Amino acid sequence: MSLTVKNLTIIDINKKQLFSPVSFSILPGEILTLMGPSGCGKSTLLSAIAGHASIDFSYSGEYYLNDCLLNKVAIEKRNIGILFQDDLLFPHLNIWENLAIALPNRFKKEQRRLVAMNTLNELKLQTLAEKGPSQISGGQRARISMMRMLLAEPTAVLLDEPFSKLDKSLRNDFKNWVFEQIRKRKLPALMVTHDESDRPDNGRCLQWPWNEK
Amino acid sequence: MNGSIQKISFQLLLILAIFVCFTPLLPGLLGLFFSAFSYIPALEMQTFSLTGFSELLLWPGLHKSILITLFVSLSSTFLSALLAFSILQSCWNKAYWHKLESLLAPILALPHVAFAIGFAFLFTPSGFIARILNTLFNDLGIANWSLINDPYGLGLILGLTIKEIPFLLFMSIPLLKQLNVNSTLISAQSLGYSKAQTWQKIILPQWLPKIRFTLFAVMAYSLSVVDVALVIGPTSPATFPVLIWQWLNDPDLATLPKASAGALLLLLICLVLLYLVRFIEWLTIVKCRSWQTSGRRALPLAGKSTLLVTYVISLTPLPLLLLWSFAQRWPFPKLFPTHWSLRFWQQEWTFLWGIIGNSIFIALISATVALLFAIVIHEHSIRAIAARNRFVVPRLIISIPMLAPQLSILFGIQVATLFIAHQYYYLWVIWAHIFFVFPYVYLVLDGPWRSYEKRLDMVALSLGMSPFKVWWKIKRPILLPTLCIAWAVGISVSLAQYLPTLMLAGGRISTLTTEAVALSSGQDRRISAIYALLQSLVPFFFYFIAIFASQKTGIITNQNTVNKRSVAHHVPDSKKSDYY
Repeated sequence: MSLTVKNLTIIDINKKQLFSPVSFSILPGEILTLMGPSGCGKSTLLSAIAGHASIDFSYSGEYYLNDCLLNKVAIEKRNIGILFQDDLLFPHLNIWENLAIALPNRFKKEQRRLVAMNTLNELKLQTLAEKGPSQISGGQRARISMMRMLLAEPTAVLLDEPFSKLDKSLRNDFKNWVFEQIRKRKLPALMVTHDESDRPDNGRCLQWPWNEK
Repeated sequence: MNGSIQKISFQLLLILAIFVCFTPLLPGLLGLFFSAFSYIPALEMQTFSLTGFSELLLWPGLHKSILITLFVSLSSTFLSALLAFSILQSCWNKAYWHKLESLLAPILALPHVAFAIGFAFLFTPSGFIARILNTLFNDLGIANWSLINDPYGLGLILGLTIKEIPFLLFMSIPLLKQLNVNSTLISAQSLGYSKAQTWQKIILPQWLPKIRFTLFAVMAYSLSVVDVALVIGPTSPATFPVLIWQWLNDPDLATLPKASAGALLLLLICLVLLYLVRFIEWLTIVKCRSWQTSGRRALPLAGKSTLLVTYVISLTPLPLLLLWSFAQRWPFPKLFPTHWSLRFWQQEWTFLWGIIGNSIFIALISATVALLFAIVIHEHSIRAIAARNRFVVPRLIISIPMLAPQLSILFGIQVATLFIAHQYYYLWVIWAHIFFVFPYVYLVLDGPWRSYEKRLDMVALSLGMSPFKVWWKIKRPILLPTLCIAWAVGISVSLAQYLPTLMLAGGRISTLTTEAVALSSGQDRRISAIYALLQSLVPFFFYFIAIFASQKTGIITNQNTVNKRSVAHHVPDSKKSDYY
């Protein structure tokens, strides 16, 4: 699977383009970084690809998953996972339930709990299974949130400043772990950030206003 | 010196507020209990006995009446919750949602009785819908059904459901804002959940526990309602509260123990049903919760068509009442009156002034006092919670007047006034109105009072202002829009009171509501329409004043500072309706 974007730009309410149209293609297991200052429209670009319409902005351009045009596909059918800077775990569910809810429908009943528990075991976080999201640490929440996204079996991944809320000490470990998961599953990933240190080593990077670096 | 006077007067007000708003509960429950066991010294019944209960149980239609009441109450509560949720699911955050939200206030302001009378004009066999069907299909037999006073209470269920949906929607707005529906939708959709699946699998389990109290109020109301049931409810047998009400009005005072035994039973049924609602919530949300994580499935819910039906049925009574009040001849199946007349207005005009005056007099006093007391108790609670050691009035006690059947509480209060001095009936009626208005006013203030930025007070205090001055110069102006709305809510609740007015004045005070109910069973629809119309226009008038005043006085509009860096900015935050 590869994620391709052609001539994508964001247009604000005054019909002004926030940046010149951008085109790129991301290969399976590759992580492309879009860097830019706050307010340059990079997060809006991600939500356009994810399919979340906004009243303040519109976009023009096309994006494809392999050769399938995504523009008109319903959000929930796009199969694109997003990781935000907030973990957005569902507060009324405990940790294993937060994982189980993401599993595809082919997993039934007890199987859902087992897969969620196995995932927690692999992360060595099995003791957290019955706890609520507010009872565990920020670093743990970030990992659960990433695993939840992966359990939904996405075909591409968007990362919206995923590390910016984490402590410096946790950050590097978590970052490497996320990149490793993405590479292992051969998912194309697009990350936006304003922090130079978030970039994967030797990864491709587009710097606002989108010059390759 | 100045400060201590303020402090003492605040304490006195607080004691008065607690006395006025909560003491009626005591005689209310005790009086009910004693008379249910046939201990009524005023009637020379001075020994406890179970005759009231045995008479009650021997009454031939009793179990049928109770079954119908349970059926009406359970199904209208369930339906209104289901339909309100399906409306939220399909319409929340749509571009037209703000318009729906602003239409909720006038629908809520429409009193239950006026709604029921208009509803009857719509659905009787010669009602407006029958007229439309007849005109369309030209068949006189097509309208051979009636939802009004039907033996299974179906009309009552439909009427109550439609009237409660807007209330549930209104109460859900702040809850859903708190639940961050937008970011939940974003993260769930990125996991492959559709909008409907997200609402039913992820938002519903969070919404239900938060809407619990409102559902309690809806359930208790539908179980114990008398006025609406008198207008559109079943008649043979009537619903249980209506039966009790008829026994209470029996000129033979010997039926009093039976009536009060019934009122006690009604209170018990109410408790059981409230527990049932809580139990069902626990069962579906906590105990059997695997459905929440079982995958991407959703039931088809027709939210938009429900919305349309609700708004149409809620909004047609008013024009219909207006038409009827000016109709001289309106033969079936004509869609409009054939002859118009001002005669009925002119005929009622002289009585109307006195009745409107009475209603407004009682409403203004009780709403103003209730507002003052609600402010005092809120201020006290905030301070008591901050100080961590003082007594805070529990929310449950505040909400008892909303949850317990009015009939049951009023019964004991009525007995108590007989002991004290029942000739001051205006005092008792106003007191009872304050008692029932207070929890609503308190609830309207609740959200804004909690979200008030406390650091503003600290800044003002550090500038050297006295606590009272801080309140008057800073907090009051900021919260003035809410105060205006709460006052209007209080007025409309007072204007709609039927049982307190009748029971404590012994029929000597007529308000628009008591007259509207009394006339609804009469033969003349035109007179009935005039009273129902005025009963709904008076609260509208005060809502209008309140909204106007809150817009003119709300110089400081509470701007939400939307956190630009949070995910919520993918969908614009709703800024409106914060003043509710």
